[in-house]
Amino acid sequence: MSITKAITWARLKSPWVLHFNSGACNGCDIEVVALLTPRYDVERFGIKLEPSPRHADVLLTTGCVTRQCTTRLKRIYDQMPEPKFVVAIGACACSGGVFKGNYTVEGGVDKVVPVNAYIPGCPPKPEAIIDGVVKLLNSLKEAKPNDKK
Amino acid sequence: MGEAVQIKLAHLGIASIQVAAESVRDIVEIMLETDPNLGISAITGLDLGENIGVMYHFRLNQKLATLISEVPKSNPRIQSITDVIPGANFHERELFDLFGVTIDGHPSPGRLVLPEDWPVDLFPLRKDAKIDNLPAQGESSTEKIASAPEIEGTLVNLVVGPQHPALLEPEKFSLKVDGEIVRAVEPRIGYVHRGVEKAAETRTYLQDVYLVERICGICNSCHATCFVEAVEKILGTQVPPRGKYLRTIILELNRLHSHLLLLGHAGLEIGYETLFQYMWRDREPIMDMTELITGNRVIASSIAVGGVRRDLKETDISKIKLEMEKLRKRMDFYQNLYDKEPSLKMRTQNVGVLSKEDAFKLCVVGPVARASGVSMDVRKDDPYEAYGEIPFKLITRNEGDTYARLLVRLDEITESINIIDYALEHLPTGPFRIRAPRVVPAGEALNRVEAPRGELLHYIRSNGTAYPERVKVRTPTFANLPSFLKTAIGGTIADVPANFVSLDPCFSCTDR
Repeated sequence: MSITKAITWARLKSPWVLHFNSGACNGCDIEVVALLTPRYDVERFGIKLEPSPRHADVLLTTGCVTRQCTTRLKRIYDQMPEPKFVVAIGACACSGGVFKGNYTVEGGVDKVVPVNAYIPGCPPKPEAIIDGVVKLLNSLKEAKPNDKK
Repeated sequence: MGEAVQIKLAHLGIASIQVAAESVRDIVEIMLETDPNLGISAITGLDLGENIGVMYHFRLNQKLATLISEVPKSNPRIQSITDVIPGANFHERELFDLFGVTIDGHPSPGRLVLPEDWPVDLFPLRKDAKIDNLPAQGESSTEKIASAPEIEGTLVNLVVGPQHPALLEPEKFSLKVDGEIVRAVEPRIGYVHRGVEKAAETRTYLQDVYLVERICGICNSCHATCFVEAVEKILGTQVPPRGKYLRTIILELNRLHSHLLLLGHAGLEIGYETLFQYMWRDREPIMDMTELITGNRVIASSIAVGGVRRDLKETDISKIKLEMEKLRKRMDFYQNLYDKEPSLKMRTQNVGVLSKEDAFKLCVVGPVARASGVSMDVRKDDPYEAYGEIPFKLITRNEGDTYARLLVRLDEITESINIIDYALEHLPTGPFRIRAPRVVPAGEALNRVEAPRGELLHYIRSNGTAYPERVKVRTPTFANLPSFLKTAIGGTIADVPANFVSLDPCFSCTDR
C-alpha cells in the first residue's frame, strides 16, 4: 500500500469533524449533536467531533453566516490543514434560508468559504446529515481537496 | 406631570400609562413604591415618523403594565432607569443599537447586538434606515484577536469564543481572572443577530409565523404560539378548545425536549458525559412524539393563526401515553441520581448562587428565577391556551445555585408529563382550527408565554395591512444573561461552564 493510499484509507475511516455555528437558530445544531448521541451514534463510522480546527478534516457549518461571524468562519477554514472539506448543513447554510436578505446576513456559507457538500432541510433530519457526510466520504476516494484560495 | 399622564386600562397588559419622556423615571420610582419587586420585561422602540416611541413593559405584581413615552427623532434622548432597575441595562443598550435613542446616565453604553464596525448613524429598525450600501467589512471589524492572554495589572484577560468547544454557539466572553478567580465578565453578544424584527415587517403575518419559529430551533413552538396569540388578540379570534389543548401538548413536548437537552448538556459541561448520553437518549422519543403530532422533528411548524395545522389521530394518543410513562420511570432514575451522586453535587452545589433579592433586581425569568425562590410562571400568572384548566404544580427552590436551577427543570419535566397526560385524557372534540383573515385590522397587542427558559414576550403593532408594522421579541435568555454576569464573579474558572449552562443559554434567542 502506497503512502497516499494509506492516508486516504485513514481519512475515510476516521474523519474528524469540526462544528461551527455561523448564526444558526440551533435547530441544525441540536441535530448535529443528536448525531453523536446513542440513537444515531456516528462515532461507529469513525466520525469524531473535534474541538480544534487544526485537527479537523471536515467543517460542518450551520447558520446563515452573519456579518459578525464572517471573519471567524474564514479564520477557522484557514486554520484547517489540507485537504479540507466543508459541509453546509441546513437551508440557512446552503442559501441563507428564511433569513436571506436580512441586514446582517451574508446568506450562505459558500459566500465565504468553498463548500463541498450541501445538506438542505430546516433542519435536515439526522439521517440526512449522515447521508450527506457519507456521500462526501465516498467522493473522497478520489480525494479532491479544495484549492487553496 | 399632571394632564400629561394618560392611563388606558386593559391595554398592553393590565394598563398603559402615557407620560412625557422627562417623567419616565419618576413614574418608575412611584411604581417601585407600589411593588418593590417591580421587574422590567422589555423596552420596545417604535418608529412613529417624527418621533420615536419608547415603551417600557413592566411586571407589576406579576402582571404586565406598560409605560409609553415619545422622544423626538431629531434629538432622541431618554433618562436611564438602570440605576433603579438594574435589569434594564441590556434593554436600554438594545434600544440605542436598533433605534439610536441615547440613554443618558447609562452605566455601560455601547454596542450590544450590532457588529462593532456597523455605521454609527445607521439604526436598522428605523423605517427610514437605508441598509443597502453597507461598507465592506474592515480588517479590524469585530475581532480583535490576541495571540496571548492580555494582562492588565494583576488581572489576566481570558477570552472564550466565538468558536470554542464548550460553546455550541458563537459568542465571546472576556473573563478577567486573578489566578483562578473570576473578577469581571464582559460579554460580546450579537454573533447570531439576524435582524428578525426588521425582517418580520417585510413579510406577511402568515410568513412571519414561520420566521419567528426560526428565531430559536429549540423553543420554536413557543415563539410561534406567542406570535399567533398576539395576532389573535388583535383579530379577536377565539381558538376552538381542541386547538387549545393540542397547542398545550405541543408546547409541553417542546418544554420536555428543551429541558432534557439542557440537563444533558449540563452533564457534558460538568464532565459527566454518561449523563449527557443518557439524557439525549431519553430525549429521542420526545422528538418522535413531536414528529408524530406535528410532522416535524425539530421546527414543528404546527401552530397557525386560529388553531393548529393538523389534528391528532385517536390511535396516536395511546402511543404518546406509553412514551410518557416510560419517561416518567426514567425521571425516577435521574431524581435518584441527583439526590445521591456526590460528584454531581460537588460540581453544582453552591456554584453561582443568585439570591432572591438579586433575582428581582436583575429581572430574571423562568427556571432561573424559580430556583432563587421567585414563584413566577406565565402559565399560572397569565394563563393562556389550556393552562387555566389543567392542574399542575409550580416548582420553586430556595438555594439559587446551579444545582437548584437544574433540579427545578428536572421536576418540571415530571409536571410536563402530567400536563400532557391530563390534556390527552381531557382532549375536547370538535374543530382544531378556524379560518382567520389574513389581513389584520389596525391595533397592537402584547403577549407572553412561558417558554422552557422563561417568560417570552412578543409585541405586535398592526397598521391594517397584511404586513405588521412592528414586531418586538423579548426572549427569556436575553433577560437571564445578566444573572450569569453577576454570579460568575468571585467564582473559579472551572465553575464558569457549569454556572453558565444552568441558565440554559441560547444565543439565537438572545440576539435574534
